[in-house]
Amino acid sequence: MNQAKFRRFLARNSYLFALLLLVVVVLINYSRQDNLFEPSVLNRNIRVFLPLVILAAGQAIVIIGGGIDLSVGAMVSLCNALLVTWITPETAGGDILLAITLVALVGMAAGLLNGIAVAYLRLQPIVTTYATSFIFAGLALTILPRPGGELPRDMTRLYRRLIEVDAFGNIPIIQDIPILREIPPAFIVIAIVLLLWAFVRQTRLVQYIYAAGDNAEAAYTTGIPVQRIRLGTYVISGFFSAMAALALTMSLGSGSPTSGDAMTLDSIVAVVLGGTRLRGGQGGIAGAMMGVVILGVIRNIISFYDVPTWSQTLVDALIILIALAGPGLVRYISDLIRRYRLQGGRAA
Amino acid sequence: MVTLSAQHLVKRYGGVVALADGNLEVQSGQVVALLGANGSGKSTLSKIVTGVVAPNEGQLLLDGQATSFASPLVARRAGITAVYQELSLVPEMTISENIWLSHEPMRLGRINRKAMQQRTQALLDLFQGTIPASLIPTTPVYNLHPDERQIVEILKAISQDPRLVIFDEATASLDSSQVTRLFELINRWKGEGMAIVFVSHRMDEIFRVADTATVLRNGSHVGTVDIAETSERQLVQMMIEGATAMEREAREPVAASAPIRLHVSDLTTEQLRGVSFELRDGELLGIGGLQGQGQSDLLLAIFGAIPFQGRLALGGKEVHFSHPQQAMKQDVAFVPGDRGNEGLLLIRSILDNLMLPSLREYGVPLRMQRARAQAGDVSDDLNVIMSSLDAPVNSLSGGNAQKVVIGKWLLRDPKLLLLNDPTKGVDVGAKGEFYSLLSNLRQQGTAILFYSSDDEELLGLCDRVLVMHDGRISAELAGENVTRENLVSASMGAAHHEAKPPGASQHEEPTA
Amino acid sequence: MTEAKAKRSSSLPNLTRYLTPPVIALLLAIALFLFGGVISPGFVNPNQAINIVRLAAFLGIIAAGQTLVIISGGEGIDLSVASIVTLGAILTFRLTDGQNELILPVLGVVLLVGAGIGLVNGLGIVFLRIPPLVMTLAMAGVVQGLILQVTRGQLEGDTPDLMSELIAQPLIGPLPGVIFLWIGLGIAMWLLLERTPYGKMLFAVGINRTTATLSGVRVPLVVVLTYAMSGMLAAFGGFVLLGFTDTVFLNLGGRYLFPSIAAVVVGGTLLSGGKGSYWGTMSGALVLQLINSLLQAQGLPEATQSIILGVVLLVLISIYGRQRAFRL
Repeated sequence: MNQAKFRRFLARNSYLFALLLLVVVVLINYSRQDNLFEPSVLNRNIRVFLPLVILAAGQAIVIIGGGIDLSVGAMVSLCNALLVTWITPETAGGDILLAITLVALVGMAAGLLNGIAVAYLRLQPIVTTYATSFIFAGLALTILPRPGGELPRDMTRLYRRLIEVDAFGNIPIIQDIPILREIPPAFIVIAIVLLLWAFVRQTRLVQYIYAAGDNAEAAYTTGIPVQRIRLGTYVISGFFSAMAALALTMSLGSGSPTSGDAMTLDSIVAVVLGGTRLRGGQGGIAGAMMGVVILGVIRNIISFYDVPTWSQTLVDALIILIALAGPGLVRYISDLIRRYRLQGGRAA
Repeated sequence: MVTLSAQHLVKRYGGVVALADGNLEVQSGQVVALLGANGSGKSTLSKIVTGVVAPNEGQLLLDGQATSFASPLVARRAGITAVYQELSLVPEMTISENIWLSHEPMRLGRINRKAMQQRTQALLDLFQGTIPASLIPTTPVYNLHPDERQIVEILKAISQDPRLVIFDEATASLDSSQVTRLFELINRWKGEGMAIVFVSHRMDEIFRVADTATVLRNGSHVGTVDIAETSERQLVQMMIEGATAMEREAREPVAASAPIRLHVSDLTTEQLRGVSFELRDGELLGIGGLQGQGQSDLLLAIFGAIPFQGRLALGGKEVHFSHPQQAMKQDVAFVPGDRGNEGLLLIRSILDNLMLPSLREYGVPLRMQRARAQAGDVSDDLNVIMSSLDAPVNSLSGGNAQKVVIGKWLLRDPKLLLLNDPTKGVDVGAKGEFYSLLSNLRQQGTAILFYSSDDEELLGLCDRVLVMHDGRISAELAGENVTRENLVSASMGAAHHEAKPPGASQHEEPTA
Repeated sequence: MTEAKAKRSSSLPNLTRYLTPPVIALLLAIALFLFGGVISPGFVNPNQAINIVRLAAFLGIIAAGQTLVIISGGEGIDLSVASIVTLGAILTFRLTDGQNELILPVLGVVLLVGAGIGLVNGLGIVFLRIPPLVMTLAMAGVVQGLILQVTRGQLEGDTPDLMSELIAQPLIGPLPGVIFLWIGLGIAMWLLLERTPYGKMLFAVGINRTTATLSGVRVPLVVVLTYAMSGMLAAFGGFVLLGFTDTVFLNLGGRYLFPSIAAVVVGGTLLSGGKGSYWGTMSGALVLQLINSLLQAQGLPEATQSIILGVVLLVLISIYGRQRAFRL
């Protein structure tokens, strides 16, 4: 009975393996880089991860809803191209906000196109979003034929600089923890996303996303507007892609028509590392976000262990493969043991 | 008060008419049984009423007003809901999440889990005593047995406070104590003004619960009769057009000298706790009992589809299969109960389905001529009604599809045939053909192990019946002891469902 | 249930029975070719046709394994084909070093290596239950890493002359060898899928694994074998591709990755598995190559080409890629 309960607990908290993995890789990283937890170092790391963290959160929502979005990278490229076209070093504050709003709308419109094709035209998500990624990539290339553009320095500085907090100024011990006095802005973004998720997780809408992803037919007969929910997940993914593009643009300070392309597949790997199954109906965005950090930290470790340049890709890929195989390996071995026990009686 | 009247509903899929003239009248405080053979249009009619399917013609009157439901949601808002046989549950979600899905109790824009769980518990209490006490609102649905899932389905429909509920084969996987409880509840709900449509294949249930019966045949309304003034025979006549109800054949005992085909001793799996018996050539050995007492596990273990512990001897030789393929090499065949999910490749041709277990016999490249000839012979023998061997198997009716499942094993001339509730959802006519096939096979010396959830079948066909309870054989009935009373009492006698949750046995084998 | 089943099988008039997805795709390819003649005069001529078929042949060969994997179902997909194509080409380039007599032994090695990589994919998917998409994606990274590790970016070697003569240059009349190779592969794939126990089992596994198991099919074996074959066919694709390119680079196979999936889908093979054919994939490869050639012949900017390709793909997918509606 206890074992069954434990299994149920694991199944319900699918991100536990990711959490464990995260702790392990961070500790390994720390063993080689003892200033890892200093605010400035942490900030440098996390701000590089942030675009993919946001993107993977959007991808996770689509996947939980029973789809997949191979166009997220192209949407990032498109939004990145738009941002550096609409915002120049001379753009005034109000216009910057307007541009960001417009880019968010563009991202959502791109997601809407995906959503209509998948939910209403009932096209298969993998090939559909692959096809639309060509459209978005072509648009990005039309808008920004070659890398370039520049953001106002205030914007890039806002993204890079630690935020000084003295809220804990009077509390002993806590006031001495450096990271609580100087917080990387990316942490605040991640915290906001997670808090928002924790809040909406208990709404009907998100409940519907899980139901539609797990068993669409059952959800439909129960009266859930499955098509609208599916559409919604793609629009959300479009919005998250636009926000990822904003983070990326602020991080790079410039634009490129192919800036996001490589992020698509990473976002999917991160979602799976985070314990969300690709079939949908299970998992969460926290795991996906952890998945991104795991991927990033692995790359950090490789550079700190002086792995020869020509071996880095291989080592990176092997570690990811092992990480992906982890939960399966544990299950496979425990199944073997169970089977052995069950049949052991016969042999004896 | 509610009255619903469906008039001359028509539903076509391409050129095929699924429902030609569907009529149905039901009102508050009434239980209407909807009857018909497979493919008669019952499901289509009930799906139109609940908004799952859109009709091509005809009209639906709700309280005298013409209505049409654009989706199940719209129907539900009008107070109409259904308990589906093909389950509408979301496996990863808990019982309470499933029951309240899309009408969750809310608080400040968020789901009120506490209220949801309390209300779920109140609903589960309706079936108290017939389901294990370990079933709580937070149990995930993927952990449930089929009967428990069915009960969650029923509670899900009831949780919506409906005015009209359609029970579509809702008792198919329930055991008799659960059915009895459901009928008590239906009577209560009826008294409270609910209108109920009850779709079932089981005649005795219809006489127990329904007030009137509406019969469909080939998609058309045949008539509506008052249950109190009609007989089972009359209803069957209405359903099958001219055919007579099946006659039971006389049982011939198997010679005790017939060689032992299968010897099972101390078979143990996750669900079975030490099962032993013998089966002789030419014998039809029945397995009975309430649903989910390990009958499927027993058949699957013998067939090598699930791991087990214990001894198996086939024709005197000890065997231990770890894959069905090994069992098949020893001339064992297994006909699963769930045709669509376990027996057939629905989109493949009849020929491909028949060939599948015997592919290795046809060599490389496959000798298609020979395969086709053999498949043609077996489908003629079984009287499969089809347009050609190349037609996809999903173009067949339920009974004919089941014949294909049996045919693919007959092609291999099995010496031991394992049957897992093969007549579930099969119409009366096809059942009769199936019974005579079984007696032919017996005469040829095939040993048959036959699990059925239909007690009548076991009583009518079997020499011997093993009654299972909680993973064990609780009684072995043979000869004159094979009676309805003995079967029911052996099934129920030791049944203290909630007192003994699975896994809490005192006689657990020590694990090595 | 039964009513819904009747729907899918029935009522097709006789003519449309022959309009299977592969035939539709083939007709589409011919129409596109003729359409090319309308929008750019001079497009329609035998040389152009041969060239297009030749180019489509490479995509078609690379997509052969992908077809098998997608038919096997269970979200089956192979994202490692591109890296294996590159590896196959690089291995051939390096090991033969331009020597004709080494072609056959090296081909053997290349096929074995490809099959080995596919085998690992299959084992991870079946026994560790890693979703095929991420398993093969991770494997693509490993293969790419292996290439970098071994070559250190130094791509030394040479292509045997015989290979480009046999594969890319006119062999019989104006037709290059690769076209015959492709037709041969088409026949072999048809035999494999329709006339061997493996093929029938593969469809069974793709449709319903429980039914397959209970009918005596060793599902894990079939799936592992399928990924191994996909790896082998991709490596073969790399070998053949080298005969055309004559030289190798680190991302040689990259541009074939998603087209190999698109060709399968445009050919009417269901991404959900259990239904499809290699004839379809061949027609799909022709269609994709034609679209590509047409766009290039127009001299459009890269950006516009990309947008049009995306739109055309969407249209093609919507011809048969549609999933079942909830409301019947």
